[in-house]
Amino acid sequence: MHELSLATALIDQVLAAASLNGLARVEEVEVDVGVLQLVVPEALEAAFAAVSADTIASGAVLKQIEVSARARCRCCGRDYQPEFRIYTCPGCGRADAEILSGRDIILKSISGLEEHEVAHEDQGH
Amino acid sequence: MKIKVIESVLKDNDAVARANRAAMDAAGVTALNITSAPGSGKTLLLEKTAEALAPDGKCAVLVGDLQTARDAERLAECASDVLQINTGRGCHLSAAQVSEGLAGLALDRVDFLFIENVGNMVCPAGFDLGEHARVAMLSVPEGDDKVAKYPTLFQAADVILLNKIDLTGMLEFDMGRVLNDLHKINTGAPLIEISCRTGAGFDRWMEWLDSFKKARARSKS
Repeated sequence: MHELSLATALIDQVLAAASLNGLARVEEVEVDVGVLQLVVPEALEAAFAAVSADTIASGAVLKQIEVSARARCRCCGRDYQPEFRIYTCPGCGRADAEILSGRDIILKSISGLEEHEVAHEDQGH
Repeated sequence: MKIKVIESVLKDNDAVARANRAAMDAAGVTALNITSAPGSGKTLLLEKTAEALAPDGKCAVLVGDLQTARDAERLAECASDVLQINTGRGCHLSAAQVSEGLAGLALDRVDFLFIENVGNMVCPAGFDLGEHARVAMLSVPEGDDKVAKYPTLFQAADVILLNKIDLTGMLEFDMGRVLNDLHKINTGAPLIEISCRTGAGFDRWMEWLDSFKKARARSKS
């Protein structure tokens, strides 16, 4: 359940980006989720819904895109894509991998409405 | 309106982790993040390690648990400085919690800081605390398939401890299976078989600690 701490960090970044760009309501949040972060998508979604309640991102859709890992072999220097349980280097056969990516969660974008658009929508137009 | 952001959700944690590492470098402290399932023997490992390090080497311990200060109470007997961090509902330590902990420890008096993470083989793997090395521990009663089940934790380890080795004859435990899984997941980290209870293999663990500390000192000079 580290999804809750990830969601807590995520909502802070979403709200900061919204404020910086003058959004009054956030409707969609797009994240790249590294496969090695071991996130359960439903758990991250539920955690995000919980931490965004009572904020301008309340009810926003969290779009999660799973991204694969990249590794560099510490023995022969080759870059490759490890599997979840197999880190064997295709070059030298050792499994001494430096993880280059796949552990992270990246906030890619947020979509939403500016103040006048929200007012417009609330009037039922 | 769509706004591009491209920002790591872990960036705040990673920034604090870097600051923790720098603070420990400045104090000449080697920090280790100890991860395992609950009950594999992290606290006994640290009790025995603190005893073995004394009196020449001193160590401090930060202990993360959801509740209670029981581990810290046990460790207070042998380590120079112990601080318990209760994570409450949190299933792993964060760099910020370690940073708060560091403020309460006298780092200039110790050689090693052991950070006993919350017993959990999934969540702690994703969070840098500012440690210099990660220790992943498993124990014989947990079964021989732990490495295959939690590859991310063992892949990220700099050293792997197999504890409770004195129980191998009593339980069904296929050492070949562990080695075979590690062969595909992490061939860079040494596997050290120990029994914290009987002391078997403990010398090798102490040697590893010493050589890791010396290698760090060499790379700095």
